[in-house]
Amino acid sequence: MNTTVIKTGAPMREADMNDATPKMEIRGVSKTYTTRKSETYALETTDLSIGTGEFVTIVGPSGCGKSTLMMIAAGLEEPSTGEILVDGSPAGPAGPKRSVVFQRFALFPSETVAQNIGFGLSVAHVSKVERTERIEEQLTLMGLEQFRNSYPKELSGGMQQRVAIARALIVRPEILLMDEPFAALDAQTRTVMQEEVSRLHRRMQSTVFFITHSVEEAVYLADRVVVMSKRPGRIKKEISIPHDAPWRTGDIEDAMTYGDFNELRKEIWDLVREEITTH
Amino acid sequence: MTQIKSASSTRNRSVRVASQPFVYGAVTLLCVLAAWFLATDVLHLVGSSFLPSPVTVIATLFGLTVQPFAGATLMGHLGLSLARWALGVGAGILLGVLLGIVLAWLPPVRAAVTPIFEVLRYIPPFAWVPIAVLWLGASMSAQALVVFIAAFPPCVINTQLGVSTVDPILTNAARTLGAPPMTILRRVVVPVAAPSIFTGARIAVSNGWMALVGAELIVGKEGLGFLIAQGQFNGDVAMIFVGIIVIGIVGTLIDFLIARAEVWTLPWKTDSK
Repeated sequence: MNTTVIKTGAPMREADMNDATPKMEIRGVSKTYTTRKSETYALETTDLSIGTGEFVTIVGPSGCGKSTLMMIAAGLEEPSTGEILVDGSPAGPAGPKRSVVFQRFALFPSETVAQNIGFGLSVAHVSKVERTERIEEQLTLMGLEQFRNSYPKELSGGMQQRVAIARALIVRPEILLMDEPFAALDAQTRTVMQEEVSRLHRRMQSTVFFITHSVEEAVYLADRVVVMSKRPGRIKKEISIPHDAPWRTGDIEDAMTYGDFNELRKEIWDLVREEITTH
Repeated sequence: MTQIKSASSTRNRSVRVASQPFVYGAVTLLCVLAAWFLATDVLHLVGSSFLPSPVTVIATLFGLTVQPFAGATLMGHLGLSLARWALGVGAGILLGVLLGIVLAWLPPVRAAVTPIFEVLRYIPPFAWVPIAVLWLGASMSAQALVVFIAAFPPCVINTQLGVSTVDPILTNAARTLGAPPMTILRRVVVPVAAPSIFTGARIAVSNGWMALVGAELIVGKEGLGFLIAQGQFNGDVAMIFVGIIVIGIVGTLIDFLIARAEVWTLPWKTDSK
C-alpha cells in the first residue's frame, strides 16, 4: 500500500481515477450537536467520494460545517449518522491512514523539528535506521535541513507549517486531510506554500482533502472544488477543474492572469457569496 | 525565514540584566548586617538577651557545627530536617502529580474526589500534628506526614490545571499520527503541562519546608525547628537566630535549585521566564 503513495510520474493517474472504489468515501454523514438546552444541526446528510490521487477542495462560508466534516473525516469526531470508508472499508478510529495538517500547526512544543517529523514513525515502532532515513528525506523535501534541531517556537509560521506537512506525509497516509492549513500565514508565505503543496501533489500523486475559505486557493489547487452552503452545511455544488489547466505549474499570482481561472473563480465566488448574503 | 537567536548573545544579555539586581540585593543585605552590627556591638541599642550581635550568632553557628547539641551537630540537625522534608515533599509531588493527571483526564473521578479534596486542603498542615504523632509516634514519619500534607495539594491543583489546559489540537494531532493514549500522555500532555507541574512542585517545596520547621517546633527531639525551640527553652537567643538563618538560607537554596532544574529539563521553554 505504501508504495502507491510515493510513486512518481503520472501514467497510473487515469486508471486510478476510473477505479470503482474511491480512496475515501463520506457516506450519509450528518452531525447534530446536542447540549442540555438545544440541538445544533451542523451538517446535513452529506455524500462525497474522493478518488485516488485526487485533490478535492471544500470552500464555504465560515461556520458552514466544513471543519466539522473534516473532523469526522479524520476520525476525530463521531458522525451522528453515516460513515467514512477508506478503500471501501470502514475507516475506524483516527490514525496514520488519514493524517491531518491543522490550521494552527499543532506541533509538539517540547520536541525538535526532527522529533516532530518522526513522531508517527516512532509511535509505529519503525526501526531507528529507517526512521532517520525517512526524516532526512522529509527535511530535504521541505527545505528544513538547517532546522532539524530547532524547537517549533524558534521557527516562522511558514516553517512550522512545513514541519506539520512533513510530519503528516512521513507516515505515508492513504489520504492527506488539510484544514485551512494556510489561513494563519501571511500573504506572501501563503502564496509560496500553495505552490509547494501543488508541486508536492503533482510529484507524489497523493490524495488530498483540503478545506479553505479562499476561493482562489480552492480553484488553484483542486482537481474538484466542492462548494458548501451555510449552516447546516450541505454540498451545494461540485465543480471539476480541467486536468490540464495551465495554471497548475505556476504560482497563484500567475493563475490570476488566465481567463479560465478567473471565470471559475467568479462562478464559485458567486455561489459562496449567495450563502453569505442570504439570511 | 526565521533567524535563530544566537545562544551566546542571549546568554550574555541575560547575565548583564541579572547581575544588576544581584548587586542591589547584596548591597541591601550588607546594609542590614551593618545596621544589626551597629545596633548591638557598637551602639548597644538593644540588650543581647533580645538581639544577640551578629558576631555571637556566627560564633554560635560555628560552635554548633563542631559541638553536638542534643546528640547532633548543626549538620546532623540539618540533615535530619532535610531527610524528613525530602520524604514528605517527594511523596507529595509523586502522588500529587499522579492524582492531578487522573483528575484532569477522568471527569467521573474528578467529580468523586474534588469535594473531599477541597475540604481537606483548607485544614492547615499543623492541625494534623497531633494526629500524625498519635498514628506514627514522634518519629521521622510523623514530621514527614505533616510535610506531605502541605506539599500534596499544590501539586494536585497545578498538575490538573496544566493537563486540562493542554490544547486539544495537540492531542488530536498525536491521535491522527497513531499514538495510543499513554504515548500521548508521556510525549505530548506531560511535557506541555510541565511548566505548570513545576510551579506546583515549587510551591510544594516551600510549603513543605515551612510546615516541617513548624512541626519540628511543636514536636520532636532533633532538627532545625527543635534547635529554635530549645533556644527558647534555654534562653539562648543566639541559637534561635542560628536556626532561623540556616532555615532561610537552605530554603532559598532549595528554591533556586528547583528553578534551575526547570530550566535544565525544559530547554524548549527557556525564554518563557
